Amino acid sequence: MTRREEILEKAKTIIVESLPELEGQEFSESTVINTDTGIDSMGFTLIICRLEAAFDVRIPNRQWQKLSTLGDVVDAIEKRLPQP
Amino acid sequence: MRFSGFGDMLGHWAEAAPDRPALLYERGGQLQMCTFAEMDRLVRARAEALRQAPDQCRGILCDGSFDCVVEIFAAVLGGKRVVLLSDMVPDETLIDMVRSAEIGSLWGDVDLVESLSPHLVPAAEGGPGRLLFFTSGTTDRSKAVVLTDASLMSSAYNGGALLPLSPEDRLLCLLPLNHVFGFVCGLLWGLSCGAAVALGRGQRHYGDDCAFFRPTALSAVPLLLGFLLQQGALNEELKLVLVGAGGCPKPLLDGVRAMGKAVHFGYGLTETSSGVALSLGSDPYAMTVCPDDAIAIADDGEVLITAPTCVMEGYWRRPADTAAALADGVLHTGDLGRLDWAGRLILTGRKKETLVLMDGTKLFLPEYEGAIGQALGVTDLCVVLEDKGPVLVLGGPSGDKAPLWEKLRPLMAQRPRGQQLRDIVFFGGPLPRTASGKIMRWAVQREGSVEK
Repeated sequence: MTRREEILEKAKTIIVESLPELEGQEFSESTVINTDTGIDSMGFTLIICRLEAAFDVRIPNRQWQKLSTLGDVVDAIEKRLPQP
Repeated sequence: MRFSGFGDMLGHWAEAAPDRPALLYERGGQLQMCTFAEMDRLVRARAEALRQAPDQCRGILCDGSFDCVVEIFAAVLGGKRVVLLSDMVPDETLIDMVRSAEIGSLWGDVDLVESLSPHLVPAAEGGPGRLLFFTSGTTDRSKAVVLTDASLMSSAYNGGALLPLSPEDRLLCLLPLNHVFGFVCGLLWGLSCGAAVALGRGQRHYGDDCAFFRPTALSAVPLLLGFLLQQGALNEELKLVLVGAGGCPKPLLDGVRAMGKAVHFGYGLTETSSGVALSLGSDPYAMTVCPDDAIAIADDGEVLITAPTCVMEGYWRRPADTAAALADGVLHTGDLGRLDWAGRLILTGRKKETLVLMDGTKLFLPEYEGAIGQALGVTDLCVVLEDKGPVLVLGGPSGDKAPLWEKLRPLMAQRPRGQQLRDIVFFGGPLPRTASGKIMRWAVQREGSVEK
């Protein structure tokens, strides 16, 4: 499994742990977080905060509005992790 | 208490209760406190420095911090025209706001200030005591509403007259200060009553600010309240919640009440410096009109407000829009409502073609529906607001939603999160329209036969 895939899998787990009503939903990098999952902006805030804590990264507030798909979120995390 | 402006309020409490906490905030992980006397001193010293600066209009990128609050008060006391801006909107929107409001200097995040500096208008017109708030989030070009510190203090007085806070209270301010509901009901309401205001630590801390600050009162938009309730984040000491700036589902209000906390629903507009009516009794949707305001209902059901102490001066540089909204001192709200036997306001819908979303922002429907219609190649459609957000209603029989979502995906990806569609429903027949062909949104919204 590549590092990117690991991030994606961990992110999926955290999303479902944060919002249990999404259990059983299919996620991929192209999943548009709002439209495809029904997560509202507060749910999104909760998820990003938990992802930041889990990966020990900080995504600047002004970047949040630009994160549309799960792939965008993975990009933002990957970019901020120390290089392997 | 009634105050004529920010300086009057700060001066009064600095003299009457100098050692009482005015602002609580976090710095370095520790809870900090600033008394009324200290705050008055800091604001006046900063105001004196700003008074010497040549530019007449100060834009403030509101981050909700202690320094931000001091800067806002100081800029007003320093004789500047003040424009409150969100630090969370896209760069292009901010540039447009800086230019259209003719801002001469900026306060806020240094990188953001630097990037916006080429767009400043140093020789811009002033206007002591004026504060400009951009109407929230319409997809139509935002308008700046011209208010004054006197109108904002009158609005705070109105709130305090119906829902007084005591000096022992602690009001938690979680909402952005560039939003008039956040500014008045999150900050001025508390300070004008001599209560302490706790400044929230930003969106990362929405879930734990109640535990950190232990407030007794809180103002929130419905979306935020729903989140706090769902997360079990409301603290034991909290006894009063004021909800406003968007329609609030009854289960949410019931959920707060079930915890033994009083919850009140408020109605107001940026154009009226925030609230004009508040629910006080058991019915959260029957709202008592505030002391300085009068509400009448037009023949077509539109809510008309007369609020001489609180109403806006107008829209900045938009005399035609001002004249259309404010005729003979009466504000035409675009909201529909009725008055009950006790003269309480009950809202029934919207006349204007905008939706007020649960996060307090607005959606300008003609442009939004036009873009959706273009993406789908259909014209018989409208967007209505349900509990979770905007919902697309399509005229005609049921069909497969998947290809529709596929076509809408690029459009939705460009929209702010709160404006993205939550669902598509089929009306089952043509959408009801007026004789002139306009869709009767209220009839679509109320139609029980909408097929999910």
